[in-house]
Amino acid sequence: MTGENEYVLEGFAVPDQLDAVHALLAEAAAAHPELDPMDVMLFETAIIEIANNVVEYGQPEGEVHWKFTIRVREDEIEAELDDTGQVFTPTQGAAMPGEDAEGGRGLAIAEAVLDKIEFERLDDTNHWRMVRRLGQTPPV
Amino acid sequence: MSNFNEADQGTYVVLAPEGKFNLVAAPPIKARIDDLVAAGKARIVVDLQAVDFIDSSGLGALIGGLKTARQQGGDVRIAAAGEQVRAVLKLTNLDRILSPYDTVEEALHDW
Repeated sequence: MTGENEYVLEGFAVPDQLDAVHALLAEAAAAHPELDPMDVMLFETAIIEIANNVVEYGQPEGEVHWKFTIRVREDEIEAELDDTGQVFTPTQGAAMPGEDAEGGRGLAIAEAVLDKIEFERLDDTNHWRMVRRLGQTPPV
Repeated sequence: MSNFNEADQGTYVVLAPEGKFNLVAAPPIKARIDDLVAAGKARIVVDLQAVDFIDSSGLGALIGGLKTARQQGGDVRIAAAGEQVRAVLKLTNLDRILSPYDTVEEALHDW
């Protein structure tokens, strides 16, 4: 990894830091004008939902440390998220909740716009890998 | 930032959040909708013109507010949603119960 196309953010998984995640992706997008804004927008929607999960459910609250790494490649955009929260078991493959549900859409949204979403527990860290292939049509 | 503007127009109220309509901004909006409905103001337009991003918490606040308002014979309608908001509404199939109106004026059509 040369680091040229890699954008990294480290900090605490707290609500205020969500803006930093948006800013990190904006930085990556600005450096890669070839990216379709629709790809960036949908990818942003997905990674924020995963980030929200860590912010909302990571324990001990306010003390979870995270590291986001975004990589832009010719054919895909990837984000890796490592966090020091408690052991977490995501419910992947869940259907989109019904229209009157007030919650439970986060992971379903992420899964809908990502081509790959992987989760594993590595030692004392939760590791997410999120990938969207670029230039697909239709975008949604 | 949980900033939003509010304009009471008599027969309806316009709430206008700004920036990211996310897990920080959503609870105060939902609480405000609940208060308005409790005070008999159940016709609410959420003007999304200044919102550039919504997450599932923002959607949850709108759906929760919609349910509360409809129980009292009112409604929550959304206006001026940007591209990201429209894409997320479509992804979640919520565009069927929360149809995005182009403008606040159009949202008011039968009020």
